[in-house]
Amino acid sequence: MSLSRTILASTLISLLFDPLAAEELPKTVQFNRDIRPILSNNCFLCHGPDKGRRKANLRLDVEEEAKKEVIIPGKPEESELWARITSTDKDESMPPPKTKKSLNAHQVALIKKWIEQGAKYEGHWAFTSPQMPALPKNINKWGYNPIDNFTLKQLEANGLTPSPEAAKEILIRRATFDLTGLPPTLQEIDAFLNDKSPKAYESVVDRLLASKSFAERMTLHWMDVARYGDSSVHHADGPRTMWPWRDWVIDAYHTNKSFKDFATEQLAGDLIPNASNDQKIATGFNRNHGTTDEGGLIIEEYRVEYVVDRVKTTGNVFLGLSIECAQCHSHKYDPISQKEYYQFFAFFNNNSDSGKQTRGGNAPPMLEVVSDEKLARIQAAEIKLKEAEKKISEYKKTASTAFDKWAIEAAKKVGEQPEEPAGLYAHLPLDEFTDRKSTDLLNEKNEVKWEGKGRVVKGKFGSAFRVEGNGYINAQGIKPPEWNKPFSYGCWVKPDAGNASGAIFSKMNESNAYRGFDLWLQGGAPGTHIIHKWKENAVKVVGKTKAKAKQWSHIFVTYDGSGKASGTKIYLNGKLEAHNIEADGLNGSIQTPNDFRIGRRSNSAQANNIEIDDVRIYNRTLSASEVASLAGNDPIAPLLAIAPDKRDAKQTATLLNHYLNNIDKNFQKLTTEKSSAEKEKGEASKNKITTMVMGDLPKMRPTYLLERGHYEHPNKEEEIKANVPSFLPTMPKDAPANRLGLAQWLTQPDHPLTARVAVNRYWSLLFGRGIVSTVSDFGTQGEWPTHPELLDWLATDFANNDWNIKRTIKQMVMSATYRQSSKLNKDLYAKDPQNRLLSRGSRFRLQGEFIRDNALSVSGLLANKVGGPGVKPYQPPGLWNEVSLSGNVRFKQDAGENLYRKSMYTYWKRSAPAPSMTIFDAPTREKCMVERPRTNTPLQALVTLNDPQFTEASRNLAQRIIKEGGKSPKERVEYAYRLVTSRKPKPIILQILTSAYNEEHANFGKNTEAANKLLAIGESKRDESINAAEHAAWTIVASMLLNLDEVITRL
Amino acid sequence: MDPIYENGLLQTRRELIFNAAKCLGGAALGSLMAPKTIAAPNTNPYGGLSGVPHFAPKAKRVIMLFFSGGPSHIDMFDYKPAMRGFHGEELPDSVRNGQRLTTMTSGQKSFPCVAPMFEFKRMGAHGTWVNETLPHIGSIADDITIVKSMHSEAINHDPAITYILTGTQQLGKPSFGSWISYGLGSPNKNLPSYIVMISRGSGAANQALYSRLWSSGFLPSKHQGVNLRSGKEPVLYLKDPEGIDRNLRRRMLDGISKINQEQFEEFGDPETQTRISQYEMAFRMQSSVPDLMDVSTEPKGIMDLYGPDANRAGSFARNCILARRMAERGVPFIHLFHRGWDHHGGLPGKFPKQCKDIDQPAAALVKDLKQRGMLDETLVICGGEFGRTIYSQGKLTKTNHGRDHHSRCFATWIAGGGFKAGYEHGETDDHSYNIVKDPVHINDLNATLLQQMGIDHERLTYRFLGLDQRLTGVEGAKVIPQLVA
Repeated sequence: MSLSRTILASTLISLLFDPLAAEELPKTVQFNRDIRPILSNNCFLCHGPDKGRRKANLRLDVEEEAKKEVIIPGKPEESELWARITSTDKDESMPPPKTKKSLNAHQVALIKKWIEQGAKYEGHWAFTSPQMPALPKNINKWGYNPIDNFTLKQLEANGLTPSPEAAKEILIRRATFDLTGLPPTLQEIDAFLNDKSPKAYESVVDRLLASKSFAERMTLHWMDVARYGDSSVHHADGPRTMWPWRDWVIDAYHTNKSFKDFATEQLAGDLIPNASNDQKIATGFNRNHGTTDEGGLIIEEYRVEYVVDRVKTTGNVFLGLSIECAQCHSHKYDPISQKEYYQFFAFFNNNSDSGKQTRGGNAPPMLEVVSDEKLARIQAAEIKLKEAEKKISEYKKTASTAFDKWAIEAAKKVGEQPEEPAGLYAHLPLDEFTDRKSTDLLNEKNEVKWEGKGRVVKGKFGSAFRVEGNGYINAQGIKPPEWNKPFSYGCWVKPDAGNASGAIFSKMNESNAYRGFDLWLQGGAPGTHIIHKWKENAVKVVGKTKAKAKQWSHIFVTYDGSGKASGTKIYLNGKLEAHNIEADGLNGSIQTPNDFRIGRRSNSAQANNIEIDDVRIYNRTLSASEVASLAGNDPIAPLLAIAPDKRDAKQTATLLNHYLNNIDKNFQKLTTEKSSAEKEKGEASKNKITTMVMGDLPKMRPTYLLERGHYEHPNKEEEIKANVPSFLPTMPKDAPANRLGLAQWLTQPDHPLTARVAVNRYWSLLFGRGIVSTVSDFGTQGEWPTHPELLDWLATDFANNDWNIKRTIKQMVMSATYRQSSKLNKDLYAKDPQNRLLSRGSRFRLQGEFIRDNALSVSGLLANKVGGPGVKPYQPPGLWNEVSLSGNVRFKQDAGENLYRKSMYTYWKRSAPAPSMTIFDAPTREKCMVERPRTNTPLQALVTLNDPQFTEASRNLAQRIIKEGGKSPKERVEYAYRLVTSRKPKPIILQILTSAYNEEHANFGKNTEAANKLLAIGESKRDESINAAEHAAWTIVASMLLNLDEVITRL
Repeated sequence: MDPIYENGLLQTRRELIFNAAKCLGGAALGSLMAPKTIAAPNTNPYGGLSGVPHFAPKAKRVIMLFFSGGPSHIDMFDYKPAMRGFHGEELPDSVRNGQRLTTMTSGQKSFPCVAPMFEFKRMGAHGTWVNETLPHIGSIADDITIVKSMHSEAINHDPAITYILTGTQQLGKPSFGSWISYGLGSPNKNLPSYIVMISRGSGAANQALYSRLWSSGFLPSKHQGVNLRSGKEPVLYLKDPEGIDRNLRRRMLDGISKINQEQFEEFGDPETQTRISQYEMAFRMQSSVPDLMDVSTEPKGIMDLYGPDANRAGSFARNCILARRMAERGVPFIHLFHRGWDHHGGLPGKFPKQCKDIDQPAAALVKDLKQRGMLDETLVICGGEFGRTIYSQGKLTKTNHGRDHHSRCFATWIAGGGFKAGYEHGETDDHSYNIVKDPVHINDLNATLLQQMGIDHERLTYRFLGLDQRLTGVEGAKVIPQLVA
């Protein structure tokens, strides 16, 4: 065996490396295919589109210029061009030796022949609109759809024949991986093998295209393209929430949104008239780029940087152009002038997001997003809440008889009461909250609204507001008298701690030297500030006794309008307090525009963990006895003392409320119902998430050409208007000069680039390389398409059929070209080593995500949940901390289901992305990456051999083999091999694996400790009823299987 | 024939095809539709590019000691006695000359100049100024070139560090080490060709790093820097799972290899052969890396040379010893990061602690290489992404001040690899603010370093997005001949 290997290997070597110096010249030299690449690579730098770099005032990229000067068609010997490239004089020869470029003999011969044949120029193929080509007539009959006519034509022209169709097992595995990123299940394989109908393959393809996994697989690719990440890239690389955008993409692929809408909504969804939330979420495409929060940054520098990134990404992804090269100078190879760059730049230059974004989450503009699950919870709670409120208001209507009866009885018990003090002008009992709103009994128009966190709890009377988590109550319309007028104010408080501090209520503007007033606790003692300008024009007094912890205390201040501390009195529980004076002397206005707030000042002195009830303000100085009566008695008694017909409406309402909230048990049941519905609604609305979206400034920001691309050097002599490069079609007539207009232009059916670039990307996903292998460069430096007509056919067919993505992809996988066997033979290898002619099926390593997902899938661990926040599966310790700012960002591994989600959901921290993916060529996604390299390295072997994720998968696969794979080792190996490769093992492979099992089974039998250690890896539980040595030995076999070339390769 | 060697051969040749197709650009690609392919045999024995090195190299490898955060050039080497004279005085407008500042200090009302709060000594035969807190580096003054006129355009960490290590402030480009791995390959097949080690500074909060700083960008990921970490698993996933010993792993690989061979015979894809050889290299790395990391074989005298920190895994000193061990094993690019040099405030307290971290080990590395006769063929580069301002960030007191970022000039030193010994290059004004003589742009130094490695920086290119990308950017970097002997 080793002999045959050696022979084959050395044959290959000699096939590959027979140095072939003399290359045949084509019969007809084609400018675009043969000549342009030579000129572009060697000459255009100095004789091309960039005026700044042009030498000798000579252009070779423009036919008239070249033929005026240095090319005489038909006569190479008389053409200066040919003389220069063949000259041996180092002053004459071109390209000049100092450029370190030179033409080889073949290239020189090509140019000679081209001039001989008339030196015909062609416009760059990719810049003219594709025309639907006629289907080629083939000599032989082969294939299923037009794609095959084109590939067969090329094969026939090169004397090749197509390979036979791949075996069914290989075909279903290939299609399943290509379309879903997962392996087929045994049931799916068997169903396909048993389906003898001519539509068998098509129904597999249809099933795959309809699955959510198809949408996920396409999204994973788009995440590279759109530089998606869960962190902000620059400096601190802090977290952000963009997964709602990623889920939008999944949904778009799943519902087969047309590519036209897919592109338009991502580029300009926010500008579509009456844009839906989903259309706005789509624009997150251009918020995915890296942003910074670095302390020393210059904001404009980075704002410009973000625009530059958006231009680059749009150019690379949709146009297949390296348009970004013209940022600092006109493009060296493609006809994009620097001015045109800034015209394109202008589409994105109206952005409203700042150059400085955050390290702690999303930066504006952003949109609140509620998950479907949460939305359902909120809606259910709202219905409950409405019902409860309805019951309450209905109950109130029926309560008057019982209330009247109670009021009479209660009045009898009250006895003589001091009068309700006069002068009340604001009274917030904090008793009833509806939709987070309560009332000012003295003025129902004043909105009293609960903001942020906090709770409604049982109060001194009825309910009270408990300040928590920086929540507060905001009351509009409440105004204290001026500084030189008397007033009094107070409430009941119940602090958790005996030394609590904070503003119980206030109306104060901190940013205007604390103007206003407050009632506050200072280390537990009540006090007040009345301020014009802190601290030189203010009164501050603080009592000497503390309000006790966990008890209700009445605190109250009276002020006489004197502007003196001596005219300001503090009462605790109705008793006048001795006080300390901290400021004394006020003679200016205390009015502020800020609202009255309970629980804090406008933005500070938060009184967390204090319960507050029955807030009152009077417009006079209450007497000591009046304060005592407020403190000593409940507020109800004085009202009861008033004869029912003498009570005014407000007093009656207060009594009714008191009755309902304190006496009437039935009513209290209703309010409990209501508050539990409110609580549920609050819980469901917690942790709202946002996603970043694009936004434009209301007024267009002027754009200027930036000299050398530098933000500091705008050329203000000329304002630049948004437009597209002149070598491409003009903007549609009615298109607005903004991103929406740009999208309309991009998705015109005859656009020369958009459809070609898109179908070429799909092709490269399915065939491992594009028809144009430089998938993001269709410019003059890009590669010539291997099948130009096929590309044009696919592109026009795509645009003519509503940019239907699934339809185009289906066409590709249905073709005979796609279905060919990937087996290689000497002849094929010699004629087409890289399979550029598509003489066989392509064969390449699975991408990293698929390798991991495959292991999870065949072992039965894969959690098939779609969408949601990124997850943190196993990763070696310390990787985040090692690079993080100040070293304090630590990776916290998830547990349970999150360890087994598809790899596309792995949390993507871009300064330290998951190593098991980057080792397999996953990009960091700091910049747009349209196609990944595909390497084969020892570190990859270490991942699949040693990563706990894979060891755990091996153990679970082993368990599945034991339980489902039959009895004998032979049956089990067959079962396992089919699971991982879709095929039956050859006898030799069966023998290798069975004897591996037998040997390791014997070894682990002698060393149970080793078996147990191996089986302990990973969080999932193993079935303890399985013998450890047996389980461990199958784990070894499973690990070998997961490391086979065939398993990590798509055949 | 040794099967591994055979695999290696096949791999090298296979990659040539890949390179020819993927990398040579339009000229080569334009002819690919023609029936025959031109391919010359790869002359690079180390798996790098054919024809590289372009000319006879002076140095075979690079050890880059990178001090991230922006060490103060003023407090290290670029001291002038005249500074004492204007200590506390406002920075003259004529010096600042309208130049942009970071927004951390652009709002400052006052810009008082600060002379270093340290003593300086003239060191080496040429009497160059060195801070007294760097006595060991002072002691090798005669072995190193100090470039005092380094400059960059970036003024904040993230862009500046990306710039100096990849040649541009834009993201997505390969790091210096990746270019070396791509161009030169490595004589050691059992260790990665580009190795990174990170240590924390003891003097200050640590600025962030990013794996992009050792990423291969658009180059194949086999050229990305492998971060060698202290602790049980220096290379990620290096250890066999618990319960699997070396013999069992060997048996597993033999089985995998046999089945892969069957696969190769059925499909004939050379990639399968490559995979077999890569699994073998992984197996060998599992012993070669622990062997590399095991410093117990180092004599006490050597450990003492690097200082007491050398006994602590993860320290800069330990990493310096490891760097030497890697150099001995032929690793072509060794990249040490030492963090904590961002001294916006409290510089007089923090800076000496940072110096203590690096002074003895960095000097020991140079001495150790020299005594083994390896310094001539090893480039040791030592510096950060920019320098710091002469003026104080925040309040200047008798004992305390800070300094903001400053990229108009800063200092880097280089030892070995054909650079001049005992030499000082470039000059700044009295305020160490502007360069007055012999500026060296960061890309110029990189071009010069490449030259010493036998590489023409304009010819080590990779076609990506239509451009022949290179390490030294598009602005026309130049080799500085005065730096080399």
